[in-house]
Amino acid sequence: MKPTSTVYRGRSGQWAFVLHRITGFGVFFFLLLHIVDVSLAARPNLYNEVHQVYGNIVMRLFEVGLLFGLVYHALNGLRIVLIDFFPEAVRAQTRLFAGVVFLTLAAGIPGAVVILRPWFRG
Amino acid sequence: MATREAEKTSGTEARPRPAVRTRQSFETWSWFFMRISGLALLFLALVHFALTHIATDVAKTDYKFLSRRWDNPLWRLFDWSLLALALAHGLNGLRYIIDDYVRRPATRAAVKAALYTVAGVLFAFGTLTILTFKAKTL
Repeated sequence: MKPTSTVYRGRSGQWAFVLHRITGFGVFFFLLLHIVDVSLAARPNLYNEVHQVYGNIVMRLFEVGLLFGLVYHALNGLRIVLIDFFPEAVRAQTRLFAGVVFLTLAAGIPGAVVILRPWFRG
Repeated sequence: MATREAEKTSGTEARPRPAVRTRQSFETWSWFFMRISGLALLFLALVHFALTHIATDVAKTDYKFLSRRWDNPLWRLFDWSLLALALAHGLNGLRYIIDDYVRRPATRAAVKAALYTVAGVLFAFGTLTILTFKAKTL
């Protein structure tokens, strides 16, 4: 690594932080979009037309990304809360991060299958 | 008045505040809010996703589905809690991100103003949608 690099070598804790930022940012902008699409409920036909778009493959892949982002952010958030409220837990922070990654994949992969399957079936 | 004043004085003299207990600033409350709202959202957002994105296929979450769900005021309360908490939690998170990366004071103020405006408008929009929804037959 170059001495001028701005990358902080904080190992897993740093990656946990970076992922937490990116997923939080992503989920927030999906939320803004989601408020707009649900607010179309006052016009039923428009609501149905717009929600049909969510069924195509691009939006389904986007939804899979949302699932991974949401689950990661939720579980890593729990890890942060645990460490903040019970400082002793910081000793286990690397193991906790490994658990967060494992559980994100364990929930995300089957979820992705459920979300994508209807599209492949047509 | 005099006695209360005396109590106050004797109180502080008898038990000085421990050095670690600093004044509770806005940022302390912000930190606390992120933890508490985060815990609530863990439940609200994951239940919402499991029910309306996993248990129900996204293609089936149409107007009829929405009408049936919002027939129950408790689901409206659930959705509104999710809306309010997620928006506040996300807005505060975005505020951290802006403070970290947008360094020029004028740009920072402008970005924050834009963000707060959009979030405020969408919060009003979402609240109105949940409160005023009346199912129509198509």
